[in-house]
Amino acid sequence: MVIDLDRCMGCRACMEACKVENNTSEQIFWMNVFRYEEGDYPDVTMKFLPRPCQHCENPPCVKVCPTQARYQQDDGIVLTDFEKCIGCRYCIVACPYGVNFFNWKDPEDNYYGLDWDDKELDSVTDGAVPPWKNPDLDKRYGPDERLVAGSGHFRGTTEKCTFCIQRVTKGLDPACVETCPVDALIFGDLDDPQSDVSQTLRKKSSFKLKEELNTNPKVRYVGQTAPQTDGREIEAIPIEARD
Amino acid sequence: MASTRRTFLKGTAASGATLAVASRFKPLEVLAAENGKAALSEDLVPTTCWIGKQDCGILARRVNGRVVKFEGHPRNPLNLGALCPKGVGQIAAVYDPNRVKTPLARTNEKGVAGEWRQISWNEALDTVAKQLREYREKDPELILWQKGRSKAKDFYDKAFVDSAGIEKLGHGAYCSDAGYRAAEYTIGCHGVLQPDMRHSRYVLAWGWNATGAGGNKFCYITWPRQLSEARERGMKVVALDPRLRATGPHADEWVPLRPATDLAFALALCNGLIQQGTIDREYLAEHTNSPWLVKEDGTFLREGGKEQVWDTAKGAIGPVGSAGKAALEGTYTVGGETVKPAFQVFKEHVAKRTPEWAAEVCGVEVDQIRRIIRDLGDNAMIGKTIEVDGVRLPYRPVGVMAYHMAQQEEGFQAVRAQLLVFMLLGAIGAVGGVRIDAKWEIDDHYQELDEIEIGDPPYDFTLKESKYFPINSGNPTIAAKTMLDPKRYGVEKIPEMAIIHMANPVVSFPNTDVIKEAYKKFKFMTVLSPWLSETADLYADVVLPAATVEKYEGPMKANDMYVDGVSLRMPPMDPLFESRGEIDIYLDLAERAGFLKGKDGYLDILNSELELTPAHALPLDRRPEVANIFDRWAKSEGIAKGLAYFEEKGVEVKGEMTPEEIYGYAADPVFGGAIHRLYGESLLRYQRQMKAKKAEKIYWQDYTPLPTWREPTMERSPGAYDLYLISFKLVENKQSRSSFTALLAELMPEQRLHINPDTAKERGIGDGDEVWVEANNAVTGGTARLKVKTMYTQAIRPDTVGMPHHFGLWVYPGAKEQGPTPNVLFQAGEGYVACTADQSFHVKVQVRKA
Repeated sequence: MVIDLDRCMGCRACMEACKVENNTSEQIFWMNVFRYEEGDYPDVTMKFLPRPCQHCENPPCVKVCPTQARYQQDDGIVLTDFEKCIGCRYCIVACPYGVNFFNWKDPEDNYYGLDWDDKELDSVTDGAVPPWKNPDLDKRYGPDERLVAGSGHFRGTTEKCTFCIQRVTKGLDPACVETCPVDALIFGDLDDPQSDVSQTLRKKSSFKLKEELNTNPKVRYVGQTAPQTDGREIEAIPIEARD
Repeated sequence: MASTRRTFLKGTAASGATLAVASRFKPLEVLAAENGKAALSEDLVPTTCWIGKQDCGILARRVNGRVVKFEGHPRNPLNLGALCPKGVGQIAAVYDPNRVKTPLARTNEKGVAGEWRQISWNEALDTVAKQLREYREKDPELILWQKGRSKAKDFYDKAFVDSAGIEKLGHGAYCSDAGYRAAEYTIGCHGVLQPDMRHSRYVLAWGWNATGAGGNKFCYITWPRQLSEARERGMKVVALDPRLRATGPHADEWVPLRPATDLAFALALCNGLIQQGTIDREYLAEHTNSPWLVKEDGTFLREGGKEQVWDTAKGAIGPVGSAGKAALEGTYTVGGETVKPAFQVFKEHVAKRTPEWAAEVCGVEVDQIRRIIRDLGDNAMIGKTIEVDGVRLPYRPVGVMAYHMAQQEEGFQAVRAQLLVFMLLGAIGAVGGVRIDAKWEIDDHYQELDEIEIGDPPYDFTLKESKYFPINSGNPTIAAKTMLDPKRYGVEKIPEMAIIHMANPVVSFPNTDVIKEAYKKFKFMTVLSPWLSETADLYADVVLPAATVEKYEGPMKANDMYVDGVSLRMPPMDPLFESRGEIDIYLDLAERAGFLKGKDGYLDILNSELELTPAHALPLDRRPEVANIFDRWAKSEGIAKGLAYFEEKGVEVKGEMTPEEIYGYAADPVFGGAIHRLYGESLLRYQRQMKAKKAEKIYWQDYTPLPTWREPTMERSPGAYDLYLISFKLVENKQSRSSFTALLAELMPEQRLHINPDTAKERGIGDGDEVWVEANNAVTGGTARLKVKTMYTQAIRPDTVGMPHHFGLWVYPGAKEQGPTPNVLFQAGEGYVACTADQSFHVKVQVRKA
């Protein structure tokens, strides 16, 4: 994935599309867009940084996972097998990008405190929580047919961005990419020189987040520069407490 | 615990469907089976967004007939497959279990939190229709229909008002009506100035929250996309705003103007452009009243009723439009009287409005002003032409977007001043220059606003054509003030019944205390809303549950200003609970109140508003189904398949707009035939009439033929009120209808006062601290205050604090904890609602730690 910071407007549509597509629970954001300021008035700039899972080539989360629940597909996508995850949260500690979320609660108890037992609503939704429940998340993906797309967001498991495995399997872009009003997010095959991502990387200089850690993220940023140390985050999204 | 789960999972790993039997989070297949449905079926159906402004095209993904996601419609020119956070998040609004589920009737007194009993639609409609019938028999003008911003074409609601013969209030005075009136008066078109994104090289984003709020036509998606593309080809953007807003990374320069000094800034730009000589004399002489001769009393010199110019060839006056070269400058004597071309008067008018002067008034660096004057002049390329689609046209690639800049005390004149900047540059209607969002044809207001006769009391309760606010779009808070004290304003009749639709006046309009007091006076009120609004909570007798996206509405323009199209909102599923679409509700009300059928009835006016051809017109003797209305409309538009076409495709893309539609210079006649009013003679006439009728200065002071700087009234507040309060919009929210929606509230949980850290620290206020914000009304001395948490930001002037709208609700569970609305602080009376009765969102405040 290539993220064009000259185009990003910080609107967070991608975060919302991710939430609805993947049915993530309250305060769990597989995609997060940071809004921050650099400099002092009047020489101040506002910047935005979308941060999905970086799908590292050398993913620290995979290395520390004791049950191989966290694994990397041949195409580079890093996934969680929810049938193997024991909720030890080592991946949360190991990941330098903070993209992992632990399900502390059963998801039905973590959906905005609304009364999903409402009878009139149930008659329309078959009792699904949330009512916008995506059936594709229940399916199995990859050669080993693993349960990786998010499914029930089971309590006691750790989850993160899957690049919308249920969508890319169908040949669609991830939900964040599809909804972006300004085409700041581009998805494709970094190994294919003709892909949009490769072409964009040839046109613009790029950087990786925390490049010095040699994780070699497959999410590349073009336009602007990496966040400076004096960046001050504003309008942070309240997210589920992570360790 | 974890190992238990693992053991459990291992035992059941064969099928995901059995993973969580005890959980509500069952796979859909299981849930469907439990409800006797065999397999999951899935489809995509087109509709349009309901929650935002611009009605983006949507493809709703459905599973077993139920929507599970809203995605952008890839072929709708407005959004090309994208959706903003609101568009995606509205799914939580659709399924919100806290919606109003059935019609409600009040069981307790008004003015306090409502208590309700559920009633049938039959009872609800009968109750409202009875009131409608009785009041219409007594006097239709006792009924007020009030709406916030219309969704889609306002045909069905306008038809209701017109066929019922009742009074109407919109939202425009809080929005950009001052700007619309300024454009209609000055250049003759009903529109807001905006850049030609495909060709501009240099754009002033003037108070334009481009990437956070959009503008007059587009809320979020379309302009930001065009802006990014334009910047990639090299367009420069200068943000003029007390707060940098999300425009930050998309602006090359930020001019942090002091609030409400935009008029002064514009006059300095005019001064600089004239000094610099970068003015389009050909345009000014041919298409504006710049050469018209002005007498010393400020009126035009007329001979035989015809305005005159100075013919430089003849060295004598001649009628406007006669052959010869008309002078723009100079002083002449005609029949013993000194006369000057209007341009000369303007040049003298701005002679002292230098960049140095404006730097002081506006609180910005003089170098910045000088640089903008130079860049405007350089980029305007005066004299150059360019070919677009085979048509050669003037090329003036300097633009401006200033939609909500109009929301200030001197809004009408500030927008006029801004128009004059771009008139000097010859950029109106030129390629790369200033576009309008409508056709280049003369709006009725061009003439009407020039021919107002200021009347004597009794005045209409909105004070239209009064000596107070002669040019007047109907400000609901002014209406509320006259309701409270009709005698004070020479008003005899105030409305007694209210129908409130998609508006929440007690929260959404300043001053909330005035509105609350006035709305007590309604003897009967019905509110159409998907949620129990605060206005309903306090004053409704009957609440009618409206559907959200799940209804028919339209037609909607699917036009990105370059590619034209049309779309419809169609229900992707049946209305939730017992809610209904508004068109259904109005059809029923009109029928039961007896004005549905026959000539001039609701159906008759629907026919004319929708321009239905005789072959497809609605029969006037029976209530149609709503779908049938849109089927007839589509067929009238020449779409043979009718509604079925839209149900399948969602949008009809008509193709690229022509240069004639885009550029005023390409229109026939040029600019629709309007002569642009640099000099507003009639404004001076109104001032004189207002004085003669003994209106106070605060009413007439801004009726000047040329935009004239004066200090805003708020500056008279005591020195202790040392900060300016401004407001703005958030991309996560739309008006007052979304802040509580679960998914959106998660993104933007609560109200914050944006404050510069230096300003906060001087007052011992930390980031996130609770503070008291107290506003002072400079005219009445009254105060209002609220408590709110702060948010540090360096991207705001140290003398300015800001609070977004959207909040201040209290009925929805948890909404109260989200914080207050700044409308508690903004002032609605004289000094804050000036000139054209349009609302200012500026007030002086003090901030101290709570």
